[in-house]
Amino acid sequence: MPHLDHDRLVFLALGETEADAADSTHLGTCAHCRAEVESLQHVAGLGADAQGLHDLPDPPEHVWQGIVAEIRAAEALPTLPGPRPERSPGGHASDERRVDRSGDADGAGGVVLAPRRGRWSRWAVTAATAVAAAVVGVVGTLVVLDGTGSAPEPAPRQVVLASAALKAYGETPPDANGEARVFDNGRLHLHLANLPDVPGYYEVWLINPRNMEMFSVGVLGDATDELLPLPPNADLEAYSVVDVSAEAYDNNTAHSGRSLLRGTLTG
Amino acid sequence: MAVGATVGHAPWKASCPVTAARREPDPPEDDLVARFRAGEELALRQAYDRYGRAVLHLATSTLANRSDAEDVTQTTFVAAWLGRDTFDPDKGSLVGWLLGIARRKVIDRLRASARETRVVETVRQLPEPARTGPDPDTVVDRLVVADELARLPDDQRRMLELAFFDDLTHQQIAATTGVPLGTVKSHIRRGMASLKRRWEVDGAAPGPRPAGLPGAR
Repeated sequence: MPHLDHDRLVFLALGETEADAADSTHLGTCAHCRAEVESLQHVAGLGADAQGLHDLPDPPEHVWQGIVAEIRAAEALPTLPGPRPERSPGGHASDERRVDRSGDADGAGGVVLAPRRGRWSRWAVTAATAVAAAVVGVVGTLVVLDGTGSAPEPAPRQVVLASAALKAYGETPPDANGEARVFDNGRLHLHLANLPDVPGYYEVWLINPRNMEMFSVGVLGDATDELLPLPPNADLEAYSVVDVSAEAYDNNTAHSGRSLLRGTLTG
Repeated sequence: MAVGATVGHAPWKASCPVTAARREPDPPEDDLVARFRAGEELALRQAYDRYGRAVLHLATSTLANRSDAEDVTQTTFVAAWLGRDTFDPDKGSLVGWLLGIARRKVIDRLRASARETRVVETVRQLPEPARTGPDPDTVVDRLVVADELARLPDDQRRMLELAFFDDLTHQQIAATTGVPLGTVKSHIRRGMASLKRRWEVDGAAPGPRPAGLPGAR
């Protein structure tokens, strides 16, 4: 059965041609042509709605200023260390740093914190596993180095109030990991690597480990870095556990119970 | 590290409206995308000048609170910049990607306020949070189609605007414009095909397209 002429489908969809008996019969039996007409109708409807979008107002200036401020703050953070060639665990910390820095040469352009999928350092995580405070210590060191060394010009610092190394939880593949940091502007920065694919989406929670009360901070996109605003009055002493869960589109806003990563904020 | 190419260009001057039918010479999108991904800050500003309106529109039309909408706009561009090397131009346009980020942030806010509402209404769970604004997916789709419409060749765009906005038939368009009927038809057909393709690539709805569209295309 030949399909309807595509021109005809277009003009049927635009509503300027009446479907005759032959058209109707064909559309009644041909899913392909029916779907095409429906898509075209939908697009035509969207096109008609486009009229109101010609002269959208500019965002107010303070939005741009906020973007710049937040990016400057992020740039002032230390570059996350890159992957390390496998070597003996006895390597000295300063060696690591040099390796990481040279690995970043491709990121020239003055922007630090360029996220790269999978570049999160296994080294940093294992260090954190051994001694929880180690990551905080390393971060602190790099902040100092950035200020005195490679950073071309000092930018306003974003103070890290607390941070947490996130580790695979439960049945999550052990290479999944990440880091969470709370900045003094009330944002939670997440850096993630190797999250397993899930059918739905990822959601970030802060959990009170004493009574397992929790609230949702937001959902994650597919970027390796996310900045999420925290409620200004959030009690991070109580809600100290950062949790990344796998959620389904199931009309249920509660935690699914499938935690992928967890870590405890310290600082 | 080719960064010097922007000499003489006033950095913070707005260049192009996105979803606008205003016709200004567009600096090539490919070039902007390449510079954006390379981390050139000027490209961020240019992307913001082009697409900030669209992102803000998505946020303001779906969120009740104006300052939430501005905050979504801000965090969208910050997240886009920090995550710029996850942008894959083969999978869609820059504005489609930005709107996708903004859409998720909008949905976040809607869910958060739905939770607040639920806390207040402790009695019963609403099956669906009452929504004040239009569905974010629809707004994204509209913006994407509007953007494509603005990018069409002039003739195609003009014919489609007459069809969409003035509700003219192709005969009426031919009569109004003096363009031969066959030419009108072919402009409309090609314009519609571009809009549909763009919507399929950059539109929001992650689920199935309406009514069993054949999968492979």
